[in-house]
This record gives sequence, C-alpha cells and structure tokens, in this order.
Amino acid sequence: MALEVLSDPTYLRSIIRLSLTVSLLAVLLSTALSLPIAFAVGFGDFRGKRFVTAVINTGMGFPSVVVGLLVWYVLSNQGPLGTLNLIYTPEAMIISQLVLAAPVITGVALSAIESVDDAVQGAAYGVGGTRADVALITLKEARYGVITGILAGFGRAISEVGSVLIVGGNIAYADGTSKTRTLTTAIQFEVRKGEFETALILGAVLLVLVLLVNGIVLRLGGR
Amino acid sequence: MMHEKDDVHENPTFDPDETAMNLALEDVTYGVDGTEIVTDVSLEVESGEIVTIIGPSGAGKTTLLRLAALFERPTDGVVRCDGTDPWARSRDERLEIRRRIGMVFQRASLFETTVARNVDIGGRIRRPWSQRLRDFVQRVGTRWIRGSPTVDDRTLEALELVGLRDEWDRDAGSLSGGEAQRVSFARALAPRPELLVLDEPTSDLDPRNTAILERAIDRARERGHGVLLATHDMHQAERISDRVAFLLEGELVEVGPPERIFNAPRDERTARFVRGDLLYDENELPA
Repeated sequence: MALEVLSDPTYLRSIIRLSLTVSLLAVLLSTALSLPIAFAVGFGDFRGKRFVTAVINTGMGFPSVVVGLLVWYVLSNQGPLGTLNLIYTPEAMIISQLVLAAPVITGVALSAIESVDDAVQGAAYGVGGTRADVALITLKEARYGVITGILAGFGRAISEVGSVLIVGGNIAYADGTSKTRTLTTAIQFEVRKGEFETALILGAVLLVLVLLVNGIVLRLGGR
Repeated sequence: MMHEKDDVHENPTFDPDETAMNLALEDVTYGVDGTEIVTDVSLEVESGEIVTIIGPSGAGKTTLLRLAALFERPTDGVVRCDGTDPWARSRDERLEIRRRIGMVFQRASLFETTVARNVDIGGRIRRPWSQRLRDFVQRVGTRWIRGSPTVDDRTLEALELVGLRDEWDRDAGSLSGGEAQRVSFARALAPRPELLVLDEPTSDLDPRNTAILERAIDRARERGHGVLLATHDMHQAERISDRVAFLLEGELVEVGPPERIFNAPRDERTARFVRGDLLYDENELPA
C-alpha cells in the first residue's frame, strides 16, 4: 500500500503542491503584515507598548485548534464572512495559517529589531542618515533574526494539522487528487486508516520540503 | 571609480581642499525633565582647528557634542553652522547641514558587513532612492555572478588615512577593537564632512591605535576640517588640541590654548581638575 503513494505521483504531487502553495502564501502575507507591525512597535515609543508586546507574545502560543475553530466560525455559512463561500477551500486554510504564523513572525522579528544595539542606530544617524535610513540599517542588522522569524512562521504553517483540518476538511477530488488535503492532514488520514508506512513516507517528504525551503531562505539571506 | 578585489594598487590622495564649517554654540542650554545638563555654553570651532573638551564624568561632554552634531535641539540658546541656525530651518535643510558634520562615538558600533560597506555607508545614503535601488541590484548581481566585491575611491582614501586601506574587503566582525574604531573614524570621514565631532574616540584603544587615530585627526585638521573632541586623556588634549575647553557640571569654566590650560589656568576649578582634584565627587566614593 505504501508503494502506491510512490507509484501514483499525481496524488503525491497534488498534496505537495497544495501544502507548499498554502503555506508559502500564508507566510508571504503574514510577513507583509508582521514586519511593519514589528517595526512600528520596535521603533515606537508609545503608551501601552508593553501590552502590545505581551499580546504579540501570547499570540505566538495560540492553540491551533482554537484558531481553526474561530476561522471556521467566521467563514462558515452562519459567520460574518459566510457569503464569501471560503469554508473548505485552500483560501480558508491560508487564512488560518496566516493567523497562526503572523504572531510568530511578528514576535521573533520584534525581538530581533529590539536587540539591535542603540549605538548602531546612533552611528547610522551620525553618518547623515534619515529616520528611514536608520530603520533600513536596523532591519539589515536584524536580518538574521527576521529570517529566523519567517522560517519559524513557515514551520508553524506547514506543520499545521488541527486548524487546516477544521477549515479545509481534508477533501480529495474523485480522482484522488487533493482539493484541501495537505501533507499533514494526509498523514493524519493515513494513520487513521492504519497505513503507517504511507504516513511515514509522507512525513519524510514533509521533512525534506521543510529542509529545502529553510536552505533556500537562508541562502538568500546570505547565511 | 570602482575597484574590484584584486584591482587596488594606486595610492589615492585627499584634495587639500574643501570648504569647512564654522560652528558656534551661543549660550546653549540643554535639559531633560527640568534638569539642566548643559548650561549657557558658548564655544566656537573654526575650520582647521581642534577644540578639545575636558571635564570629569557627568560634566555634560557627550551632551554638548550631541548638540554640536545636531542630534539634540537646545532647550535654550542657538547652535550656528556658518551663521545659520539649523533648528530654524526645514527638516530637509537641517539634514543637509547635519550631513556636513561627521560624528564618531566612544564605541565603534560597526554594521555587520564588510569594512568597505561600513565606510561607504555615508556616501550611499546620500544618493537618491532610485539610484540606491539600482546600486543594490547591481551589487547583488556582481556578488552572485562574479563573486567579487567592489570598493570606490573615497572609501579607499578614508581607509588609507587610518592605515587600513588593504583591509577593505574584510568582515567588520573580524576586526580588533582598535581597528574597528579606526574604521569607525574612516566611516565618519568618507563623506568628507566639514566638521568632525569625536566623543572619546580613543578611550578604549591601545597606544598604537591611539597614535594612528590621533595622526588621522591631525591630518583631518590639516585638510581644513574643524574638530570638536571630548576626551578623558589630558595628555592627548595637550598633544593634539589648538584650544582646550574645561566643562564642569554643564558649565564651560575656561577655554584657552593647551599650554595655558594645563600650565597656568585662570580659574581655580580648572587648576584643581588639572591637578586631579575634581576627577570624582568625594561623596560618590564607597565608605
């Protein structure tokens, strides 16, 4: 049975494609949302900054099943965004992964930005930098931390089971290819069927994918 | 002109040149939360002279330098750069004036990149954003396709002045503390500022690196730069200054040539400081 997964590459390819598409898009959107927030909080000096930081840090530990439940409620037919008909679609899975990944990316990026020595910012200002220059130089100094945050967000997204199962439904088309079935939900599905060998093969594929994405991102980041 | 890694041979020299800024602090006061850190200070730095501020810790030396470098706005009084009050000008005009001043801090605080990229940062941030984007794309292309970093003349000139010309492609993190501070000085010098503001730049350096940096400061003076320097090192103040200013509890006590300040001060407080009596507050000592 386990060999069937390998002998039918269409099924495996469709699961891999969906897993990567959903997680990469979720991380891309999360990053676009998280970095400005991390910047605003990291650079800002405002009342309630500690509270905002605490909220972000709490968000890093959100139980994924609860997130899935909330997203399911919002997108379900009775929910506020029910008319968009997004429930049990890859878009719903992207939204739930976005909600899970965004606090992780924000929190780690914020910590990296805040750990940049004030003296570096002074040096950037001292050579004639504007506020934008100082911010850019700070981001550059914090780049390894920011990249780590993005990778942690990707890890959280692609390894997610609970919430994508709730909002995606682990659906396959009649021909067996994936509609909302990802590598993680497929593993869970195979285990429930007792197909442990197939689950192990899918697990290995997931591991290789994560390693591959991490390697590419770190290379692009100059490490 | 850009050079690649194996392409750096000629010896660039500085133009003896360049216009220099006259800085004047007029009755400058600066305070935070009602506490005055600097009170009523008037001091001028002419082009081509080194003015050194001495004084005990907490006297307000760093604050005075930050006011001179336009990091802070005085709560009272005026800072004039060539007769202009930058704080009465628009933000863009003030930026232009601020860019004529180079500042070096006690700690080198280099960026995590190569020596050359540290030194040419001032030049890069002065370019328009469109050109910066083009340069970025070009640099990434050069690095990925040819694997060869480049360096420009100004960067080499500034590094030459601190004796680190051949180290331009080194990672800044691999430098010793003394080398890092010399790079930090080159970084301030590369955009060719007219006034240098130096906050205890040699306080953490060994004698050799101190000597190299003092020579670089002297050469900057020869080129017509004004230099405002704060130091704890009396011998250094005596060695390199044209004028020495003694600051105590935020007030400028006395300004004059080093021979007079160190040998025949007019104010009793200056005499006591020079003798070593005012280096610390007796009440701060442990029982």
